Amino acid sequence: MDDMRGTVRDIGSTTMKISASDVQVHYGQNHALKDVSVDILDRAVTAFIGPSGCGKSTFLRCLNRMNDTVASARVSGKILLDGEDIYDPRVDPVQLRAKVGMVFQKPNPFPKSIYDNVAYGPKIHGLTRNTAELDEIVESSLRKAALWNEVKDRLDAAGTGLSGGQQQRLCIARAVATGPEVLLMDEPCSALDPIATAQVEELIDELRNQFSVVIVTHSMQQAARVSQKTAFFHLGNLVEYADTTEIFTNPKDPRTEAYITGRIG
Amino acid sequence: MNTAHILTAFDRDLEAAQALVVRMGGLVETALLDAAEALDTRDEDLAARVRAGDKAIDSLEDEINTRCALLLALRGPTAGDLRTVLTVMKIAASLERAGDYAKNLAKRTSALAQMPQVPGASGSIRRLAKAVVQMLTDALDAYIRRDLKLAEDVRRRDRDVDQMYNSIFREFLTHMMEDPRTIGPCMHLHFIAKNIERVGDHATAVAEQVIYLVTGALPEDERPKVDSTGTGT
Repeated sequence: MDDMRGTVRDIGSTTMKISASDVQVHYGQNHALKDVSVDILDRAVTAFIGPSGCGKSTFLRCLNRMNDTVASARVSGKILLDGEDIYDPRVDPVQLRAKVGMVFQKPNPFPKSIYDNVAYGPKIHGLTRNTAELDEIVESSLRKAALWNEVKDRLDAAGTGLSGGQQQRLCIARAVATGPEVLLMDEPCSALDPIATAQVEELIDELRNQFSVVIVTHSMQQAARVSQKTAFFHLGNLVEYADTTEIFTNPKDPRTEAYITGRIG
Repeated sequence: MNTAHILTAFDRDLEAAQALVVRMGGLVETALLDAAEALDTRDEDLAARVRAGDKAIDSLEDEINTRCALLLALRGPTAGDLRTVLTVMKIAASLERAGDYAKNLAKRTSALAQMPQVPGASGSIRRLAKAVVQMLTDALDAYIRRDLKLAEDVRRRDRDVDQMYNSIFREFLTHMMEDPRTIGPCMHLHFIAKNIERVGDHATAVAEQVIYLVTGALPEDERPKVDSTGTGT
Protein backbone atom coordinates (compact mmCIF):
# COMPACT_ATOMS: atom_id res chain seq x y z
CA MET A 1 0.00 0.00 0.00
CA ASP A 2 2.57 2.58 -0.97
CA ASP A 3 1.66 3.45 -4.52
CA MET A 4 0.19 6.89 -4.28
CA ARG A 5 -0.66 7.26 -7.93
CA GLY A 6 -4.37 6.99 -8.36
CA THR A 7 -5.44 5.96 -11.80
CA VAL A 8 -7.29 9.10 -11.71
CA ARG A 9 -7.60 9.67 -15.31
CA ASP A 10 -4.29 10.69 -16.62
CA ILE A 11 -4.82 11.01 -20.32
CA GLY A 12 -2.10 9.20 -22.23
CA SER A 13 -1.88 11.65 -25.08
CA THR A 14 -2.92 15.05 -26.24
CA THR A 15 -3.09 14.06 -29.89
CA MET A 16 -6.41 14.64 -31.61
CA LYS A 17 -7.74 11.52 -33.28
CA ILE A 18 -11.06 12.82 -34.52
CA SER A 19 -11.95 16.41 -34.99
CA ALA A 20 -15.61 17.19 -35.71
CA SER A 21 -16.84 20.68 -36.48
CA ASP A 22 -20.36 22.03 -37.00
CA VAL A 23 -21.87 18.59 -37.54
CA GLN A 24 -25.60 18.66 -38.29
CA VAL A 25 -27.81 15.66 -38.87
CA HIS A 26 -31.38 15.67 -40.19
CA TYR A 27 -33.59 12.61 -40.34
CA GLY A 28 -36.16 13.88 -42.87
CA GLN A 29 -37.75 16.88 -41.14
CA ASN A 30 -36.25 16.03 -37.78
CA HIS A 31 -33.19 18.08 -36.87
CA ALA A 32 -31.46 15.45 -34.72
CA LEU A 33 -28.05 17.00 -34.20
CA LYS A 34 -27.31 20.71 -34.11
CA ASP A 35 -23.90 22.20 -34.70
CA VAL A 36 -21.79 19.73 -32.79
CA SER A 37 -18.05 20.37 -32.59
CA VAL A 38 -15.88 17.95 -30.64
CA ASP A 39 -12.23 16.99 -30.62
CA ILE A 40 -11.69 13.38 -29.61
CA LEU A 41 -8.34 12.42 -28.15
CA ASP A 42 -6.21 9.51 -29.19
CA ARG A 43 -5.61 6.81 -26.57
CA ALA A 44 -8.36 7.99 -24.29
CA VAL A 45 -11.93 6.98 -23.55
CA THR A 46 -14.54 9.57 -24.43
CA ALA A 47 -18.06 9.03 -23.11
CA PHE A 48 -21.23 10.50 -24.62
CA ILE A 49 -24.05 10.83 -22.12
CA GLY A 50 -27.52 12.32 -22.31
CA PRO A 51 -31.19 11.34 -22.24
CA SER A 52 -32.77 9.21 -24.99
CA GLY A 53 -33.10 11.08 -28.26
CA CYS A 54 -30.44 13.63 -27.36
CA GLY A 55 -28.36 12.82 -30.42
CA LYS A 56 -25.45 10.99 -28.83
CA SER A 57 -25.91 7.76 -30.79
CA THR A 58 -26.58 9.76 -33.94
CA PHE A 59 -23.30 11.56 -33.51
CA LEU A 60 -21.47 8.33 -32.74
CA ARG A 61 -22.83 6.84 -35.97
CA CYS A 62 -21.51 9.81 -37.93
CA LEU A 63 -17.99 8.91 -36.88
CA ASN A 64 -17.87 5.80 -39.06
CA ARG A 65 -20.56 6.84 -41.54
CA MET A 66 -23.13 4.38 -40.25
CA ASN A 67 -25.73 7.03 -41.00
CA ASP A 68 -25.03 6.45 -44.71
CA THR A 69 -27.17 3.35 -44.37
CA VAL A 70 -30.17 5.39 -43.20
CA ALA A 71 -31.96 6.66 -46.32
CA SER A 72 -33.54 9.74 -44.71
CA ALA A 73 -30.38 10.90 -42.94
CA ARG A 74 -28.52 13.99 -44.12
CA VAL A 75 -25.17 14.80 -42.54
CA SER A 76 -23.38 18.11 -42.94
CA GLY A 77 -20.31 19.62 -41.33
CA LYS A 78 -16.84 18.27 -41.18
CA ILE A 79 -15.39 15.19 -39.46
CA LEU A 80 -11.65 14.68 -39.71
CA LEU A 81 -9.93 11.45 -38.80
CA ASP A 82 -6.20 12.15 -38.43
CA GLY A 83 -6.78 15.32 -40.41
CA GLU A 84 -8.59 13.62 -43.32
CA ASP A 85 -12.22 14.28 -44.09
CA ILE A 86 -14.11 11.00 -43.71
CA TYR A 87 -17.01 12.32 -45.81
CA ASP A 88 -14.72 12.95 -48.75
CA PRO A 89 -16.25 11.12 -51.77
CA ARG A 90 -12.96 9.30 -52.33
CA VAL A 91 -13.17 7.62 -48.91
CA ASP A 92 -14.44 4.05 -49.05
CA PRO A 93 -16.85 3.63 -46.11
CA VAL A 94 -15.98 -0.05 -45.81
CA GLN A 95 -12.30 0.75 -45.40
CA LEU A 96 -13.23 3.52 -42.98
CA ARG A 97 -15.22 1.10 -40.82
CA ALA A 98 -12.21 -1.21 -40.61
CA LYS A 99 -10.31 1.72 -39.11
CA VAL A 100 -13.22 2.90 -37.00
CA GLY A 101 -14.70 -0.25 -35.49
CA MET A 102 -18.04 -0.48 -33.78
CA VAL A 103 -19.61 -2.52 -30.99
CA PHE A 104 -23.36 -2.43 -30.58
CA GLN A 105 -25.81 -2.50 -27.73
CA LYS A 106 -26.87 -6.10 -28.19
CA PRO A 107 -24.16 -8.66 -28.78
CA ASN A 108 -24.59 -9.67 -32.42
CA PRO A 109 -22.10 -12.41 -33.27
CA PHE A 110 -22.37 -13.94 -36.75
CA PRO A 111 -24.03 -17.38 -36.77
CA LYS A 112 -20.60 -18.90 -37.27
CA SER A 113 -17.89 -20.40 -35.12
CA ILE A 114 -16.02 -18.30 -32.55
CA TYR A 115 -12.95 -18.50 -34.78
CA ASP A 116 -14.77 -17.37 -37.92
CA ASN A 117 -16.43 -14.48 -36.11
CA VAL A 118 -13.03 -12.98 -35.38
CA ALA A 119 -11.36 -14.10 -38.63
CA TYR A 120 -14.07 -12.63 -40.87
CA GLY A 121 -12.85 -9.02 -40.90
CA PRO A 122 -9.14 -9.75 -41.49
CA LYS A 123 -10.18 -12.17 -44.27
CA ILE A 124 -12.37 -9.79 -46.26
CA HIS A 125 -9.89 -6.96 -45.85
CA GLY A 126 -7.05 -9.26 -46.95
CA LEU A 127 -5.00 -8.54 -43.84
CA THR A 128 -3.34 -11.95 -43.73
CA ARG A 129 -1.39 -14.08 -46.19
CA ASN A 130 -1.82 -17.50 -44.64
CA THR A 131 -3.66 -19.41 -41.94
CA ALA A 132 -0.79 -19.11 -39.47
CA GLU A 133 -1.09 -15.32 -39.59
CA LEU A 134 -4.85 -15.54 -39.33
CA ASP A 135 -4.57 -17.85 -36.31
CA GLU A 136 -2.31 -15.29 -34.73
CA ILE A 137 -4.74 -12.40 -35.28
CA VAL A 138 -7.64 -14.47 -33.93
CA GLU A 139 -5.70 -15.36 -30.81
CA SER A 140 -4.36 -11.87 -30.15
CA SER A 141 -7.78 -10.32 -30.73
CA LEU A 142 -9.44 -12.76 -28.35
CA ARG A 143 -6.72 -12.05 -25.81
CA LYS A 144 -7.24 -8.30 -26.14
CA ALA A 145 -10.92 -8.88 -25.53
CA ALA A 146 -10.09 -10.94 -22.42
CA LEU A 147 -11.94 -13.91 -23.86
CA TRP A 148 -9.12 -16.21 -25.01
CA ASN A 149 -8.80 -18.26 -21.84
CA GLU A 150 -12.51 -18.99 -21.79
CA VAL A 151 -12.82 -20.11 -25.42
CA LYS A 152 -9.41 -21.35 -26.55
CA ASP A 153 -10.49 -25.00 -26.32
CA ARG A 154 -13.67 -24.53 -28.33
CA LEU A 155 -12.88 -22.11 -31.12
CA ASP A 156 -15.06 -24.20 -33.45
CA ALA A 157 -18.13 -23.85 -31.27
CA ALA A 158 -20.85 -21.44 -32.39
CA GLY A 159 -20.36 -17.83 -31.29
CA THR A 160 -24.07 -17.60 -30.55
CA GLY A 161 -23.72 -20.34 -27.94
CA LEU A 162 -21.68 -18.15 -25.61
CA SER A 163 -23.15 -16.25 -22.66
CA GLY A 164 -24.26 -12.65 -23.22
CA GLY A 165 -21.13 -11.18 -21.69
CA GLN A 166 -18.90 -13.54 -23.65
CA GLN A 167 -20.78 -12.74 -26.87
CA GLN A 168 -20.19 -9.03 -26.29
CA ARG A 169 -16.49 -9.62 -25.70
CA LEU A 170 -16.49 -11.75 -28.88
CA CYS A 171 -17.94 -8.75 -30.75
CA ILE A 172 -15.20 -6.58 -29.27
CA ALA A 173 -12.60 -9.14 -30.42
CA ARG A 174 -14.20 -9.05 -33.87
CA ALA A 175 -13.99 -5.25 -33.95
CA VAL A 176 -10.39 -5.29 -32.73
CA ALA A 177 -9.30 -7.91 -35.30
CA THR A 178 -9.14 -5.51 -38.24
CA GLY A 179 -6.63 -3.37 -36.35
CA PRO A 180 -8.85 -0.32 -35.89
CA GLU A 181 -7.61 3.02 -34.62
CA VAL A 182 -10.90 4.05 -33.09
CA LEU A 183 -13.46 1.87 -31.35
CA LEU A 184 -17.04 3.12 -31.15
CA MET A 185 -19.26 1.49 -28.56
CA ASP A 186 -22.98 2.09 -28.49
CA GLU A 187 -24.21 1.13 -25.02
CA PRO A 188 -22.04 -1.98 -25.01
CA CYS A 189 -23.09 -3.10 -21.53
CA SER A 190 -26.80 -2.38 -21.44
CA ALA A 191 -27.66 -6.03 -22.12
CA LEU A 192 -25.10 -7.41 -19.67
CA ASP A 193 -25.16 -8.34 -16.00
CA PRO A 194 -22.97 -6.41 -13.52
CA ILE A 195 -20.08 -8.87 -13.64
CA ALA A 196 -19.93 -8.96 -17.44
CA THR A 197 -20.27 -5.17 -17.37
CA ALA A 198 -17.29 -4.86 -15.06
CA GLN A 199 -15.30 -7.18 -17.35
CA VAL A 200 -16.12 -5.09 -20.40
CA GLU A 201 -15.27 -1.90 -18.50
CA GLU A 202 -11.95 -3.33 -17.42
CA LEU A 203 -11.36 -4.23 -21.05
CA ILE A 204 -12.18 -0.69 -22.19
CA ASP A 205 -9.66 0.64 -19.70
CA GLU A 206 -7.01 -1.61 -21.24
CA LEU A 207 -7.97 -0.90 -24.83
CA ARG A 208 -7.36 2.77 -24.37
CA ASN A 209 -3.63 2.08 -24.33
CA GLN A 210 -3.97 1.21 -28.02
CA PHE A 211 -7.05 2.95 -29.37
CA SER A 212 -9.22 5.92 -29.07
CA VAL A 213 -12.46 4.62 -27.55
CA VAL A 214 -15.78 6.43 -27.82
CA ILE A 215 -18.62 5.05 -25.75
CA VAL A 216 -22.27 5.98 -25.66
CA THR A 217 -23.86 5.03 -22.37
CA HIS A 218 -27.08 5.54 -20.46
CA SER A 219 -25.30 4.76 -17.25
CA MET A 220 -23.73 7.93 -15.91
CA GLN A 221 -21.82 5.86 -13.40
CA GLN A 222 -20.35 3.87 -16.26
CA ALA A 223 -19.23 7.06 -18.00
CA ALA A 224 -17.73 8.19 -14.69
CA ARG A 225 -15.92 4.90 -14.20
CA VAL A 226 -14.38 4.34 -17.60
CA SER A 227 -13.88 7.63 -19.40
CA GLN A 228 -11.35 10.43 -19.33
CA LYS A 229 -13.50 12.84 -21.31
CA THR A 230 -17.26 13.21 -21.14
CA ALA A 231 -19.63 14.96 -23.53
CA PHE A 232 -23.18 15.73 -22.42
CA PHE A 233 -25.81 15.95 -25.18
CA HIS A 234 -29.28 17.38 -24.73
CA LEU A 235 -32.00 17.89 -27.39
CA GLY A 236 -29.51 17.55 -30.22
CA ASN A 237 -27.03 20.02 -28.74
CA LEU A 238 -23.66 19.33 -27.26
CA VAL A 239 -24.12 21.05 -23.91
CA GLU A 240 -20.79 20.44 -22.27
CA TYR A 241 -17.59 18.62 -23.11
CA ALA A 242 -14.84 18.41 -20.50
CA ASP A 243 -12.64 16.12 -18.44
CA THR A 244 -14.77 13.44 -16.77
CA THR A 245 -13.47 14.50 -13.35
CA GLU A 246 -14.72 18.00 -14.08
CA ILE A 247 -18.14 16.95 -15.40
CA PHE A 248 -18.88 14.77 -12.37
CA THR A 249 -17.56 17.08 -9.66
CA ASN A 250 -18.03 20.58 -10.99
CA PRO A 251 -19.98 20.84 -14.24
CA LYS A 252 -20.18 24.30 -15.74
CA ASP A 253 -23.61 24.12 -17.36
CA PRO A 254 -26.66 23.90 -15.07
CA ARG A 255 -28.26 21.42 -17.52
CA THR A 256 -25.31 19.06 -17.08
CA GLU A 257 -25.60 19.24 -13.31
CA ALA A 258 -29.37 18.70 -13.49
CA TYR A 259 -28.88 15.61 -15.66
CA ILE A 260 -26.07 13.93 -13.74
CA THR A 261 -27.81 14.51 -10.42
CA GLY A 262 -31.04 13.02 -11.76
CA ARG A 263 -33.16 16.16 -12.13
CA ILE A 264 -33.85 16.24 -15.86
CA GLY A 265 -33.91 13.52 -18.41
CA MET B 1 -11.09 -6.55 0.83
CA ASN B 2 -9.20 -9.71 0.16
CA THR B 3 -10.25 -9.92 -3.46
CA ALA B 4 -9.55 -7.42 -6.18
CA HIS B 5 -12.19 -5.57 -8.08
CA ILE B 6 -12.82 -6.68 -11.64
CA LEU B 7 -12.23 -3.07 -12.61
CA THR B 8 -8.61 -2.79 -11.51
CA ALA B 9 -8.57 1.00 -11.82
CA PHE B 10 -10.95 1.09 -8.83
CA ASP B 11 -8.40 -0.81 -6.73
CA ARG B 12 -5.65 1.52 -7.82
CA ASP B 13 -7.67 4.57 -6.78
CA LEU B 14 -8.58 3.11 -3.38
CA GLU B 15 -5.01 2.03 -2.73
CA ALA B 16 -3.57 5.36 -3.78
CA ALA B 17 -5.83 7.24 -1.36
CA GLN B 18 -4.76 4.94 1.47
CA ALA B 19 -1.11 5.21 0.51
CA LEU B 20 -1.39 8.98 0.77
CA VAL B 21 -2.80 8.64 4.29
CA VAL B 22 0.09 6.38 5.27
CA ARG B 23 2.52 8.91 3.83
CA MET B 24 0.82 11.69 5.73
CA GLY B 25 1.01 9.63 8.93
CA GLY B 26 4.74 9.19 8.42
CA LEU B 27 5.25 12.93 8.07
CA VAL B 28 3.21 13.63 11.21
CA GLU B 29 5.13 11.05 13.24
CA THR B 30 8.44 12.56 12.17
CA ALA B 31 7.21 16.09 12.89
CA LEU B 32 6.17 15.12 16.42
CA LEU B 33 9.40 13.28 17.22
CA ASP B 34 11.49 16.11 15.77
CA ALA B 35 9.52 18.70 17.70
CA ALA B 36 10.05 16.78 20.94
CA GLU B 37 13.73 16.43 20.22
CA ALA B 38 14.07 20.11 19.35
CA LEU B 39 12.46 20.91 22.70
CA ASP B 40 14.77 18.59 24.60
CA THR B 41 17.98 19.74 22.92
CA ARG B 42 16.89 23.40 22.42
CA ASP B 43 17.54 23.00 18.73
CA GLU B 44 15.93 26.03 17.10
CA ASP B 45 16.88 24.99 13.56
CA LEU B 46 15.11 21.70 13.94
CA ALA B 47 12.08 23.49 15.40
CA ALA B 48 12.05 25.81 12.39
CA ARG B 49 12.11 22.82 10.04
CA VAL B 50 9.16 21.26 11.84
CA ARG B 51 7.20 24.49 11.46
CA ALA B 52 7.99 24.68 7.77
CA GLY B 53 7.11 21.01 7.26
CA ASP B 54 3.48 21.47 8.24
CA LYS B 55 2.71 22.83 4.77
CA ALA B 56 3.46 19.47 3.21
CA ILE B 57 1.11 17.77 5.67
CA ASP B 58 -1.67 20.22 4.91
CA SER B 59 -1.30 19.85 1.17
CA LEU B 60 -1.42 16.06 1.49
CA GLU B 61 -4.74 16.41 3.28
CA ASP B 62 -6.00 18.58 0.42
CA GLU B 63 -4.93 15.99 -2.08
CA ILE B 64 -6.55 13.16 -0.11
CA ASN B 65 -9.82 15.10 0.04
CA THR B 66 -9.73 15.73 -3.70
CA ARG B 67 -9.05 12.06 -4.43
CA CYS B 68 -11.84 10.97 -2.11
CA ALA B 69 -14.28 13.40 -3.72
CA LEU B 70 -13.42 11.88 -7.10
CA LEU B 71 -13.78 8.36 -5.74
CA LEU B 72 -17.25 9.21 -4.42
CA ALA B 73 -18.30 11.04 -7.58
CA LEU B 74 -16.89 8.66 -10.15
CA ARG B 75 -16.91 5.21 -8.61
CA GLY B 76 -19.91 5.23 -6.31
CA PRO B 77 -18.27 3.06 -3.65
CA THR B 78 -20.47 0.87 -1.45
CA ALA B 79 -20.06 -1.27 1.69
CA GLY B 80 -16.39 -1.81 2.61
CA ASP B 81 -15.25 0.44 -0.23
CA LEU B 82 -17.45 3.24 1.05
CA ARG B 83 -16.13 2.78 4.59
CA THR B 84 -12.60 2.88 3.22
CA VAL B 85 -13.21 6.26 1.58
CA LEU B 86 -14.97 7.67 4.64
CA THR B 87 -12.24 6.51 7.02
CA VAL B 88 -9.50 7.83 4.74
CA MET B 89 -11.07 11.29 4.97
CA LYS B 90 -11.54 11.16 8.74
CA ILE B 91 -8.06 9.83 9.41
CA ALA B 92 -6.57 12.52 7.18
CA ALA B 93 -8.44 15.15 9.21
CA SER B 94 -7.09 13.69 12.47
CA LEU B 95 -3.56 13.62 11.09
CA GLU B 96 -3.86 17.20 9.92
CA ARG B 97 -4.78 18.28 13.46
CA ALA B 98 -1.90 16.25 14.88
CA GLY B 99 0.41 17.99 12.43
CA ASP B 100 -0.83 21.36 13.65
CA TYR B 101 -0.01 20.36 17.22
CA ALA B 102 3.52 19.41 16.17
CA LYS B 103 3.87 22.82 14.56
CA ASN B 104 2.63 24.48 17.75
CA LEU B 105 5.18 22.50 19.76
CA ALA B 106 7.93 23.80 17.53
CA LYS B 107 6.69 27.38 17.88
CA ARG B 108 6.71 27.15 21.66
CA THR B 109 10.15 25.55 21.53
CA SER B 110 11.48 28.70 19.89
CA ALA B 111 9.89 30.83 22.61
CA LEU B 112 11.19 28.55 25.36
CA ALA B 113 14.73 28.81 24.07
CA GLN B 114 14.82 32.37 25.44
CA MET B 115 13.68 31.32 28.92
CA PRO B 116 15.32 29.58 31.88
CA GLN B 117 15.14 25.78 31.71
CA VAL B 118 12.75 23.86 33.94
CA PRO B 119 14.63 20.86 35.37
CA GLY B 120 13.37 17.49 34.14
CA ALA B 121 10.53 18.95 32.11
CA SER B 122 11.67 18.32 28.54
CA GLY B 123 12.59 14.73 29.41
CA SER B 124 9.12 13.85 30.64
CA ILE B 125 7.57 15.64 27.67
CA ARG B 126 9.75 13.66 25.34
CA ARG B 127 8.63 10.42 26.98
CA LEU B 128 5.01 11.50 26.57
CA ALA B 129 5.64 12.33 22.91
CA LYS B 130 7.24 8.95 22.32
CA ALA B 131 4.28 7.13 23.83
CA VAL B 132 1.86 9.16 21.72
CA VAL B 133 3.80 8.71 18.50
CA GLN B 134 3.88 4.97 19.17
CA MET B 135 0.09 5.06 19.50
CA LEU B 136 -0.15 6.87 16.18
CA THR B 137 2.24 4.45 14.48
CA ASP B 138 0.29 1.48 15.80
CA ALA B 139 -3.04 3.02 14.85
CA LEU B 140 -1.83 3.45 11.27
CA ASP B 141 -0.38 -0.07 11.25
CA ALA B 142 -3.71 -1.34 12.47
CA TYR B 143 -5.28 0.58 9.60
CA ILE B 144 -3.02 -0.92 6.95
CA ARG B 145 -3.47 -4.43 8.29
CA ARG B 146 -7.12 -3.98 9.29
CA ASP B 147 -5.98 -5.20 12.72
CA LEU B 148 -8.83 -4.92 15.25
CA LYS B 149 -6.78 -6.14 18.19
CA LEU B 150 -4.07 -3.57 17.67
CA ALA B 151 -6.67 -0.84 17.25
CA GLU B 152 -8.30 -1.82 20.55
CA ASP B 153 -4.88 -1.80 22.16
CA VAL B 154 -4.21 1.75 20.96
CA ARG B 155 -7.52 2.85 22.42
CA ARG B 156 -6.59 1.35 25.78
CA ARG B 157 -3.20 3.03 25.77
CA ASP B 158 -4.79 6.45 25.66
CA ARG B 159 -5.45 5.92 29.38
CA ASP B 160 -1.69 5.66 30.04
CA VAL B 161 -1.08 8.85 28.09
CA ASP B 162 -3.72 10.65 30.12
CA GLN B 163 -1.99 9.49 33.30
CA MET B 164 1.39 10.68 32.06
CA TYR B 165 -0.15 14.03 31.25
CA ASN B 166 -1.69 14.25 34.72
CA SER B 167 1.62 13.69 36.44
CA ILE B 168 3.33 16.24 34.20
CA PHE B 169 0.59 18.69 35.09
CA ARG B 170 1.26 18.17 38.81
CA GLU B 171 5.00 18.41 38.27
CA PHE B 172 4.63 21.82 36.62
CA LEU B 173 2.23 23.01 39.27
CA THR B 174 4.82 22.16 41.93
CA HIS B 175 7.53 24.02 40.03
CA MET B 176 5.39 27.10 39.66
CA MET B 177 4.41 27.17 43.32
CA GLU B 178 7.99 26.76 44.44
CA ASP B 179 9.48 29.33 42.08
CA PRO B 180 7.28 31.92 40.33
CA ARG B 181 10.09 32.61 37.81
CA THR B 182 9.26 29.27 36.19
CA ILE B 183 5.66 30.29 35.53
CA GLY B 184 6.46 31.57 32.00
CA PRO B 185 8.24 28.47 30.73
CA CYS B 186 5.93 26.15 32.66
CA MET B 187 2.88 27.66 30.97
CA HIS B 188 4.43 26.95 27.57
CA LEU B 189 5.48 23.50 28.66
CA HIS B 190 2.02 22.78 29.96
CA PHE B 191 0.44 23.73 26.64
CA ILE B 192 2.96 21.50 24.93
CA ALA B 193 2.06 18.58 27.16
CA LYS B 194 -1.65 19.22 26.67
CA ASN B 195 -1.20 19.35 22.90
CA ILE B 196 0.70 16.07 22.87
CA GLU B 197 -2.04 14.54 24.97
CA ARG B 198 -4.51 15.72 22.31
CA VAL B 199 -2.48 14.04 19.60
CA GLY B 200 -3.08 10.89 21.66
CA ASP B 201 -6.81 11.56 21.33
CA HIS B 202 -6.39 11.81 17.56
CA ALA B 203 -4.42 8.56 17.48
CA THR B 204 -7.34 7.04 19.37
CA ALA B 205 -9.73 8.49 16.81
CA VAL B 206 -7.69 6.83 14.05
CA ALA B 207 -7.90 3.52 15.93
CA GLU B 208 -11.66 3.94 16.22
CA GLN B 209 -11.87 4.50 12.47
CA VAL B 210 -10.07 1.18 12.01
CA ILE B 211 -12.74 -0.47 14.14
CA TYR B 212 -15.44 1.20 12.05
CA LEU B 213 -13.74 0.16 8.83
CA VAL B 214 -13.49 -3.48 9.86
CA THR B 215 -16.75 -3.97 11.75
CA GLY B 216 -18.98 -1.32 10.20
CA ALA B 217 -19.70 0.24 13.61
CA LEU B 218 -17.86 2.53 15.98
CA PRO B 219 -17.06 1.09 19.42
CA GLU B 220 -20.04 1.62 21.71
CA ASP B 221 -18.37 1.74 25.10
CA GLU B 222 -17.14 5.07 26.43
CA ARG B 223 -13.47 5.56 25.80
CA PRO B 224 -11.52 5.20 29.06
CA LYS B 225 -10.57 8.65 30.34
CA VAL B 226 -8.49 9.53 33.35
CA ASP B 227 -7.76 13.19 32.87
CA SER B 228 -8.37 14.48 36.40
CA THR B 229 -6.71 17.86 35.99
CA GLY B 230 -10.00 19.53 35.23
CA THR B 231 -11.41 18.50 38.63
CA GLY B 232 -8.83 20.50 40.52
CA THR B 233 -5.74 19.43 42.33
